Amino acid sequence: MRLLLIEDEEPLSDQISKSLREAGFAVDVALSGKDGLYLGNEYPIDIAVVDLGLPDISGIEVIQQWRQSNKSFPVLILTARGRWEEKVTGLEAGADDYLVKPFHMEELVARLRALIRRSAGFADAKINMGRYILDTSAQKMIMDNQEIDVTAFEYKVLEYLVLHANEVVSKSELSEHLYEDDFDRDSNVLEVIVGRLRKKLDPDKSFNPIETLRGRGYRFRSTDQQTG
Amino acid sequence: MLSLNARLLLAASIVSVAFLSFTGFALDRAFTDSGIVAVKEKLQTEIYSLLAAADSDDVSTLVMPEKHPDTRFSTPASGIYAEIISDEGRVIWRSDSMLGVQIAFEKINEKGVPQFTENKTAMGMPLYTLGLGVMWEVAPFIERGYSFYVAETQQHFENERKRFRKSLASWLSAAVFALLFVQAIILRWGLSPLRKVATEVNEIEAGRQTELSSGYPQEIDRLATNLNALIRTSNSQLKRYRNALGDLAHSLKTPLTVLRNIVEAGNLPRDIQSTVSEQVERLDKTVEYQLQKAVASGRKVFSAPIKIQEVAQKLLNTFKKVYVEKQIRYSLNLNGDLTFIGDEGDLMEILGNLTDNACKWCTNRVSISAYTTNEKVLTLEVEDDGPGIAREVRESILKRGVRADSQVEGHGIGLAVVRNLVEEVYQGKLKITDSDLGGARISVILKK
Repeated sequence: MRLLLIEDEEPLSDQISKSLREAGFAVDVALSGKDGLYLGNEYPIDIAVVDLGLPDISGIEVIQQWRQSNKSFPVLILTARGRWEEKVTGLEAGADDYLVKPFHMEELVARLRALIRRSAGFADAKINMGRYILDTSAQKMIMDNQEIDVTAFEYKVLEYLVLHANEVVSKSELSEHLYEDDFDRDSNVLEVIVGRLRKKLDPDKSFNPIETLRGRGYRFRSTDQQTG
Repeated sequence: MLSLNARLLLAASIVSVAFLSFTGFALDRAFTDSGIVAVKEKLQTEIYSLLAAADSDDVSTLVMPEKHPDTRFSTPASGIYAEIISDEGRVIWRSDSMLGVQIAFEKINEKGVPQFTENKTAMGMPLYTLGLGVMWEVAPFIERGYSFYVAETQQHFENERKRFRKSLASWLSAAVFALLFVQAIILRWGLSPLRKVATEVNEIEAGRQTELSSGYPQEIDRLATNLNALIRTSNSQLKRYRNALGDLAHSLKTPLTVLRNIVEAGNLPRDIQSTVSEQVERLDKTVEYQLQKAVASGRKVFSAPIKIQEVAQKLLNTFKKVYVEKQIRYSLNLNGDLTFIGDEGDLMEILGNLTDNACKWCTNRVSISAYTTNEKVLTLEVEDDGPGIAREVRESILKRGVRADSQVEGHGIGLAVVRNLVEEVYQGKLKITDSDLGGARISVILKK
């Protein structure tokens, strides 16, 4: 999942981006409101973390402008002051959740995962896809009540496909949302990963959960889709 | 308290009525006095005419002609009467008008001096009488004393006085009304700047105007200017103060977050890690609480009444987003007109913290209600269907200080902030009871 972090304090933004990368997010960092606003408008962002106390344009304004240009990705605001007035203003401007500084990284990650899942239309942390259950909080894939052993990157690919179940996801879309901007992308890597996932999810090749649509991309097929 | 207008109008009315009553009284007295003088003169003329008509006969007695030129003396009960009595007490002459009328004339004390009295006929009819004693030379060297009396009923005079009083009363009361009317207009005009101030203050309080307009009369112009300055400074001061505190919060909280993250990364020796972690936590809570406390404004000058429903609705919109996973059923029970006198941020802080706690602890129901009792007490209530708060800890939760280490998870800094706002800033009361929903009910009781 591609995440945009707008935080002007470098030590903090370094820490947050490090923790979020460890948690599996592809993180783009902006150190000012202006840069953040631009990145949010131009990049294929899945979720944004915005500090309200920015030196140039306020976080509230950044969110408002995104919403005005119909950017609908979920936004979590970081606020230094626990004033409800500020939280309410932030959420009225279009944010979806808030965290008051100082916060625990685990909490931030958990909230972000929940926001992503909800924005994809799933109410429960465990996404039921018939034979498969994707546990978004534990970051696990379960098949027939058995946990499948997947690597961190394999999980990222799988999660993106499951959250966009029954939709065609092109390879370029997949790489845009899984890699940061300055990452050297190689679409062959994705092909290999998808191939490995197929083997793990469908060892006897009877179910074929990940379809390949030639020239268009992949599609995760779900028989029992639980939407929220 | 009587309004200025009513006071001035009342005072002016009392003064005008008193003054005009006195005028009326004086005019009446003057009329009476001059009327009586006129009566006296008239009676005197009559006496002179009697004296002129009198003559003495051959037996040295005073005689009057058969026919008196004034016909009123010869018409019975004409209202004017005359009598001449000799000093020996003999009635020399009586006018024909006295037929059937008995008048006991007063004795004359001194000859030659007209003696004016008020008198009555035997039937009780009031009279003015004038008597004059004279020495009459009935024959050469023979003088005899006689008393001439003339009387007139007071009827004429009274009638005239009544007419005068009637017209006086109507003119004076017309004058009173005209005066009061003019005074009312003058007062309205004179006090209109004050009324304008009052209207403008209302407008400012309602938020439709930011300050008083200019062009007031010099007596209150300075007041208006100073009031404007007060409004401006109190607003901008609060804003600056809050911005400064916001910056302070930001610049304190960010390093705290960095510190906490370093501690949590777990690269430090265990004992150092726990100490630093505790201290960071404590620092955070203290900063948070003190900032929250400092930012509370309380009742400002010219604060417009805040619609509670709007604030509660904004908060509910926020909670619906934040606690979307819990699928909480919220209910809002309050009259849309209900208002809170104070700062919107403070109200949001009170309701926000209480509702946040309720959302944290509830199973799936949270209720916010507000109502007034006697129009004087405003009660805000936040309830949930969670485990509730045990009776024995209620007191201690409410009394708990700010010390970070004495906070309970979930009812931590939030309740302390609410308690400070309610009890210290707004002089209200905080109460914990059992809710009908099954959990806790926190009531905020505020004087309006």
